Amino acid sequence: MNPKGAWKFLTSVRLAIALLILIIVLATVGTFIPQEREAEFYQKNLPGISGLVLPLGLDHLYRSPLFLSLVFLFLLNLIFCSLQQIPAKFRRLKTDQEAILSASSIILEPQERSHLERWLETDLIQLTSIFRKRHYRVRVSATADGKTFLARKGWPGLFGPELVHLGLIIIIAGGLISAIFSQRISLALVEGQTEKIPGRDFSLRLDRFTTEYYPDGSVRDWKSLVSVLENDQVRLQKTIEVNHPLKYAGMSFFQMSYGHDWDRTLLELEIVWSQSRRRTVTLKVGETIHLEDGARLRALSFIPDFQVDDSGQAYSRSAEAANPAALVEMAEGDKQVFLGWVFHGHPELSRYQRRTGPELKVDLKNFSAPSFSVLEASSDPGTDLVWAGSGLLVLGLLASFYLPYREVRLKQRVGSPPVLLTYARKNRDAFHREVKTLLSLANKKDLKDKGDE
Amino acid sequence: MNEFSFLLLAFITYLLAMLTGFLSLFGSGSQWRKVSYFLGLGGLLLHSLSLTVRTVHSGQPPFTTMYESVSFLAWSCVLAVIIFERKFRLEKTGPYLWLVVVALMALASSPALPKAVNPLVPALQSYWLWLHVSVTLLGEAFLAVAFVASLIYLLTPEKKPGQPSQEARRQNLDQLAYRAVAVGFPLFTLGALVFGMIWASKAWGRYWGWDPKEVWSLITWLFYALYLHTRLVHGWKGKKSALIAVLGFLAALFTFFGVNYFLSGLHSYA
Repeated sequence: MNPKGAWKFLTSVRLAIALLILIIVLATVGTFIPQEREAEFYQKNLPGISGLVLPLGLDHLYRSPLFLSLVFLFLLNLIFCSLQQIPAKFRRLKTDQEAILSASSIILEPQERSHLERWLETDLIQLTSIFRKRHYRVRVSATADGKTFLARKGWPGLFGPELVHLGLIIIIAGGLISAIFSQRISLALVEGQTEKIPGRDFSLRLDRFTTEYYPDGSVRDWKSLVSVLENDQVRLQKTIEVNHPLKYAGMSFFQMSYGHDWDRTLLELEIVWSQSRRRTVTLKVGETIHLEDGARLRALSFIPDFQVDDSGQAYSRSAEAANPAALVEMAEGDKQVFLGWVFHGHPELSRYQRRTGPELKVDLKNFSAPSFSVLEASSDPGTDLVWAGSGLLVLGLLASFYLPYREVRLKQRVGSPPVLLTYARKNRDAFHREVKTLLSLANKKDLKDKGDE
Repeated sequence: MNEFSFLLLAFITYLLAMLTGFLSLFGSGSQWRKVSYFLGLGGLLLHSLSLTVRTVHSGQPPFTTMYESVSFLAWSCVLAVIIFERKFRLEKTGPYLWLVVVALMALASSPALPKAVNPLVPALQSYWLWLHVSVTLLGEAFLAVAFVASLIYLLTPEKKPGQPSQEARRQNLDQLAYRAVAVGFPLFTLGALVFGMIWASKAWGRYWGWDPKEVWSLITWLFYALYLHTRLVHGWKGKKSALIAVLGFLAALFTFFGVNYFLSGLHSYA
């Protein structure tokens, strides 16, 4: 392709339309093919199309070369279109300084053209007042050659589409910067824990973590009171909540989630030797305590949501305390007298237990695990660009739709029929019709302008 | 009178507005047109009462459940109908828009959508909920006007013997659709995409994450961008841009309903 052809291709609206359609199609595909899964997932669940999904990168569509090259081409289209349009728009604004009666009139962009049936003479003055009432700036110039009438309004609207395009260019640039440079780190902190932020010279300490509940038991809010530490000095203390992040030194800290450190669960166990002999002890998972008569009790592990898989292995179905169980071992001297899972709230459940005497029972009375707060630290240098771009985008849309550029030219040159030229970026036909109505108003003798149509 | 009695009364009034609207299509129906307009205005008042009672009672924005959102979308559509009827005259598009409103009201009142007030999950407790959802749904209401006008445009034959005004009628429908997009598109851009990005960056720590709801609102936005650009290329105006306005609204509907029911993501709160 020669340079001129390439320029034309890159600035064309047709390319924009083709790219919009392609991006719509691909983006749609990406919402129906699950994203970012293992290759086996696609071979197993989408056997028919996995041969297409993986080579084309449809499993990570929104960062695949296919999608990104479309976005890149779209970006080029936007840039080249702006490069072409912005100077052209400025030229259009300047044209009233030129001799608009010159034979070589500059015809910019599509404009509607029609011939008038007759010459306008004194009614040009009326026409001027009609257009002025509609907030047009009007210029009438007359030479020996003839007369011209130029009325225009809404210059912000003239640049509206360019503002929108510029906004989009900035948003896409911000998005690229985010994709390359943004960092996200997940921090799980228990109360009192201090964590150094990687690559930064400050640390974050969780001072207090609370979960608030609604009366029906669902979570109302998580609150993490944190301190920012620099050289062991507290610089700032703030409560982070969902929707209320902490901003510090170009980083933002978000409340993402919470959890319990089940490996450090504190257990309250009741040992029942007989009706008359029982004792309650508290110990942490992993600890051993010595009882009288040389007996030992050891808490081997704790599972918050007990479940047994096909091979008989115990595991936790979830991180919530839905079916809490502790694995406990008791020995007297060298002899193991009890080994098994004890369930909270179900002292009768002895299926996963082995014991020597039928009388001996262990019951999980209570348990508590330290909760931790999951915070996400992120730094994203693209964000501000995205906000700036969004602002331009919205301003541009408002300007294009609500302050639309309108231009009317009447040319009456000796030796040729009078010509009406109207220019509007949007809603062209309607504008041309409107102007013709306005012109017909000027024809009427006793002119009573009744405002807008 | 509770919110549901107001809702029912609004529903009945909208139904009457639709019926009188269709009556106005026959013969010289300018009287019926007026009746339909004032019925719509009355329904809007009743509907506003229903939404206000709900908001005061629950202490939450009136669009946290599907029932509330559909009801609010219907309310926005009525607002769009009233504004457009006043400013531009909806003609044939009016009664069919009332049909859309009535369908939305039927959906909102149906037992398929639970009416209970649910406590807000932490992520939804933000004033951005007000801004993001209300502006988006308001924008979508105007896009619904464009949808109905474009649909009628596509169904109106180009030439009908003995009806010389056919082309003017089609031109008016095309104009109406464009004017509706001119209102709906900026609102949708601001509410769905810009406010959505700002809220996402506050709540989730990133402004964009290719969540299905995000992608579908982008797809909707791209459809309307396409609509506006096709009007610049000669020959695409009319039929093709009408088709795109229809597809764009279907994408908006899918963003609203479909994503919640068919695709899973961060926006599935229900």
